[in-house]
Amino acid sequence: MAHNKILHGLDGSTGSFKALEEAIELAIQYGAELHTVSVEEVPHYPGTVGEVIEAKQAANGKFGQAMQQAREMAKARGLDLHCHVFTGHEVKTIVEFVKEKSFDLLVVGFMGHSALYDRVMGSTCHSLVRLAPCSVLVVK
Amino acid sequence: MLESPWLIGALWIGLALLASMISIRIAISVALIEIIVGAVASNLIPCAGSLAGVQAGLVTTPWIDFLAGFGSILLTFLAGAEIEPETLQKHWKPALTIGFMSFVMPFLGAAAPAYWLLHWSVQASLIAGTALSTTSVAVVYTVMLETGLNRKDIGKLILASCFVTDLGTVLALGVMFAHYNWWLVLFLGVSAVILPFAPRLTHRFLRHYEGQVSEPEIKLLLLMLFILGGLAIKANSEAVLPAYILGLVVAGELRHHRETVYHIRVAVFALLTPFYFLKAGALISASAIAQGALVIILLLLVKVAAKFVGVYPTAKIFRMDSRVSMYTTLLMSTGLTFGTISAMFGLSRNLIDSSQYSTLVVVVIASAVVPTLIAQKWFQPHPAILEENSNGT
Repeated sequence: MAHNKILHGLDGSTGSFKALEEAIELAIQYGAELHTVSVEEVPHYPGTVGEVIEAKQAANGKFGQAMQQAREMAKARGLDLHCHVFTGHEVKTIVEFVKEKSFDLLVVGFMGHSALYDRVMGSTCHSLVRLAPCSVLVVK
Repeated sequence: MLESPWLIGALWIGLALLASMISIRIAISVALIEIIVGAVASNLIPCAGSLAGVQAGLVTTPWIDFLAGFGSILLTFLAGAEIEPETLQKHWKPALTIGFMSFVMPFLGAAAPAYWLLHWSVQASLIAGTALSTTSVAVVYTVMLETGLNRKDIGKLILASCFVTDLGTVLALGVMFAHYNWWLVLFLGVSAVILPFAPRLTHRFLRHYEGQVSEPEIKLLLLMLFILGGLAIKANSEAVLPAYILGLVVAGELRHHRETVYHIRVAVFALLTPFYFLKAGALISASAIAQGALVIILLLLVKVAAKFVGVYPTAKIFRMDSRVSMYTTLLMSTGLTFGTISAMFGLSRNLIDSSQYSTLVVVVIASAVVPTLIAQKWFQPHPAILEENSNGT
């Protein structure tokens, strides 16, 4: 199966950078466009605007560094990387972005939550595999 | 069982820490989680104590009450200071109309059934009207961020309207129960002197002292808050009224000094608001909620319906299409901080009882969640991804 547009979920974690290495390899192999998506999740139902602003600023700082590192990794392999940042719910936002831009492969890192957490809160990876309209590669 | 202020403090801060951890883990506002943690702890600790054969509870003390009250005043000040004055100036006509209707219709709409249907006292009904007239600017702002509407005119108009609604709420709290005596005259006189000069004075302090470790500019703001709040309380008015108005008048200055606002926020969120929100939750009675479940549903429906009557036609008059009008209406039906402040104002002055307080706070919390979910699910005017920013800012 050929892949023309690959999207990588970048959250700044070790797992997501491991997945990025894999995504870069695949992009080179298939000559595909490579994009990353980062989602700033601000607190839901906040009591104050300040709470939201602080959370957004913290996420901006974290994703700014992560994107810089990701661009350097791609550049080292001679690849252009297109980075996108959104605010919203992680799974919903990524799934809608995949649909809107017609990506044919989503690459994400495995997030090792506890079994209890996954059972109660649901795992992001599991939700993406279930809801994304394209193939999903979960890198462990 | 706990008599030492340090141990009482340890219990409250421990609960605040727990709330922060849960909030970060599940990405739900720390304010909401603190209310829930406070409610669960205050209802569970006595049960656990009785099982263990000891008398235990989540007690409040005068110093906790003071910190909680101080927290609510600073929250209100920050809420006022978060407005963009240019937005209000640009959209003042529709913002004033939509915001006023968003306040007055639920105020009347909730007070009327509380009085005639639930047979609450006049004062309790007025508190119900005030608590349920509120709009959560913070909830609306979050939804705006997620949809990208915060950068568009329609989003700015909705936010400006929310500020007007909140102004209606603090005015109602400040005016309805005030004693019309010399203290009130003094409060109004001092406000008339301080408020017009506050922006210039704040500007000078910020220019000369910003960056100093002793933070004189923050102390100046606190001084003004304490003077105006103290006089307001002497007049049996409410300290959140001058706090909100002071926030509004210095908003233009503070938006150029984000570092100062950040320092205030850090102090408020770390030290003061946990006491306020935990206390707001701790005063909720589980048995009152169980007994008043139908009343809670009724008041929630009344709030949303009254917002619909007040906001939807007004939004249509200002040429918003049906979907955007409905979206605006639902977002303006949300409430959280100002709703709990109104309910706690009523409880602390014995205008409402514990069960009425519990009912109102649960309705307020439900109004933060239910209309937002409906708005985002069925009435979002754009695809979820509207704005993207590729440089991470």
